Amino acid sequence: MIALDLALQRGEFSLELALQSTARALALFGPSGCGKTSTLLAIAGLLHPGRGRIAIDGRVLFDRHTNIDVPPAQRDLGVVFQDARLFPHLNVRENLRFGMPRGAASRTFDDVVQLLELSALLKRRPGQLSGGQIRRVAIGRALLRQPRALLLDEPLANLHREARAEVLKHLRGLKREFALTTILVSHQPDEVGALADGVARIDDGRLAALEDIETFKASTAIPTALDTPIARASG
Amino acid sequence: MLLTHAETIALALSFKVSLVGVACSLPVAVGGAWLLARTRFFGKSIFEGLLLLPLILPPVVTGYVLLIVFGHHGPIGRLLDAAGLSIAFRWTGAALAAAVMAFPLLVVALRNAFESVDRKLEHAAATLGAGPWRIFFGVTLPLSLRGLVAGLALAFARAFGEFGATITFVSSIPGQTRTLPIALYELVSTPGREGGALRLTLVAVIVALVASLVAALMLLRGGTRPDEAEA
Amino acid sequence: MAACLIATFCAFASIAAPAAPPTIFAAASLEPALDQMARDGALGSPAPRLVYAASSALARQIENGAPADIFISADERWMDDAAKHGAIVPTTRADLLGNALVLVAPADSHAMVDIAHGAAPLLKVLGSGGRLAVALPDSVPAGIYARQALTKLGMWDALQPHMAMTRDVRAALNLVVLRQCPLGIVYRSDAVSEPRVKVLATFPGDSHKPIVYPVAIVKEHDNAGTRALLAALQSARAHEVFRHWGFDVLAR
Repeated sequence: MIALDLALQRGEFSLELALQSTARALALFGPSGCGKTSTLLAIAGLLHPGRGRIAIDGRVLFDRHTNIDVPPAQRDLGVVFQDARLFPHLNVRENLRFGMPRGAASRTFDDVVQLLELSALLKRRPGQLSGGQIRRVAIGRALLRQPRALLLDEPLANLHREARAEVLKHLRGLKREFALTTILVSHQPDEVGALADGVARIDDGRLAALEDIETFKASTAIPTALDTPIARASG
Repeated sequence: MLLTHAETIALALSFKVSLVGVACSLPVAVGGAWLLARTRFFGKSIFEGLLLLPLILPPVVTGYVLLIVFGHHGPIGRLLDAAGLSIAFRWTGAALAAAVMAFPLLVVALRNAFESVDRKLEHAAATLGAGPWRIFFGVTLPLSLRGLVAGLALAFARAFGEFGATITFVSSIPGQTRTLPIALYELVSTPGREGGALRLTLVAVIVALVASLVAALMLLRGGTRPDEAEA
Repeated sequence: MAACLIATFCAFASIAAPAAPPTIFAAASLEPALDQMARDGALGSPAPRLVYAASSALARQIENGAPADIFISADERWMDDAAKHGAIVPTTRADLLGNALVLVAPADSHAMVDIAHGAAPLLKVLGSGGRLAVALPDSVPAGIYARQALTKLGMWDALQPHMAMTRDVRAALNLVVLRQCPLGIVYRSDAVSEPRVKVLATFPGDSHKPIVYPVAIVKEHDNAGTRALLAALQSARAHEVFRHWGFDVLAR
């Protein structure tokens, strides 16, 4: 359950959003500059709303009224940034392990590495990875934090076609395996269609509509390249 | 180019004093630089001014302040004397003078190094559960290593060449506080000793050149590393 | 554009500025005496600019063209050096003042020492960690005289490891004033000018080369005004002030 009620001012841009969604995977959909990334950053604790309340699965992360503002490190979220932000001075293995809780089973590490097909890359540095590989490592790193919810900022952006298909396949796999509450930011309908259960349409800092995925797909043109038979079958 | 026994002692003492001085200065400079680079608080400009004070004050004044505070009967000096850890007229006092004079250089270099680290990486570390200490030691510090080394090289050069504060605070005592610059000064001040002065000057120039070279190498090859993740 | 501005500024400055007052480069120990004379107008009007430093530094600066009119050194060696480099007008050189070397302690010290019986009494006062403040014995005149005196009296070797050698004699005096050192060797004139120290003993005049303060006019600064200033430094009024501050006045 995702409960957002926030107001944020960044320079001349003002964001005011209030929504409640029971979707397991909620997409924040809208054109560039509409405020969706800012919303994500606010949920992560990296931006501070002027007022409002943010709660995920019953945990209150921010509430201006009762002066709750949980620091980002304690929000227990896994964030996959649009620019990946892998640590350049660490190799892939060290990047992946960075957020792992102490005493976490090494099985979990092996599982995620296998799921994301990263075993061959463990000793490499981020500078030696392709775009798609970087994305996968970023996703793995966020997952290995064993968070209670996952935040993804444009996970398929700026990837060429093969890489997009590769990452998407893994994201779908993760969705099946982990079933984590997920908030996904995207301006691409096919990404949303493939990964989300519910969609919040955002326009110019305001909520335009809150819909389930079927309604969204029906009302939005989705390019067929990604709309594979597998995706259609699992809805 | 051979040095006399006295000159060799002065040279060795200078290395000892500078290395210890910079080493002691480092943790304090790291803390100060981090505060300047990453925090905001009331009175920050005044704080910054205080940190840079040894750079602005005439070294003799700084030496005098050290004498009043850390010398015998000084507020801190008397505590040190009581504990048997007196630094007045000892190489440790010379190291303190070197540390104080090199400190601002170190702070400025470290601050620049910390500020050049992409804060987005620090934010990412935070979302992964890292507290401020872990962020600093796990992300900020490793990524600012080049700037740190460059700063250390410059600070070492400054400490090595330190004269005014040292001679005012701990005077010239062969084997204890008579560092290379002080020995050089004595030679320059004695008519007919220009030969020795030249020798020591050459040594000082070599040390300074090596330090500058290290600093330049670190800074030129620094900046964004070629393998940094691209979005 | 910048050149024009600079040229204009220089022209303006030279028109607007009055004739620069004469400059005396003097050994540091002369500061209280010369300052008083300048204040009282005994050195003519406009009062000269007084620059004090160690004689070694002053000599080197004058040799390299520093704009001094008169040089008063605290020892003959540095005046000899300046003369050797052709930096002074030799015919104007004269022995202006004399001084004595004294052993001092902080004013409230209870130490009683006798310098005629070797280093033991001094070492006793210094104790286990105390140091004897002395100006650099190879380069600063006060230090050179101190070394001569201590050597003549057979105390140099015993005392040398316990010395704190300072940049100039005033720094040595300061260390005693600040109680950083229980003993110091300075000029009598320094002790006279500083109530916070007291004289424990005076080194015999024959234990060191005579302390002579030579004075001379700097090369290319020999003119009526400078000669008048030199005469003022040797006038009866000047003598009075110098004696008051602990110097000996030397017959011409």
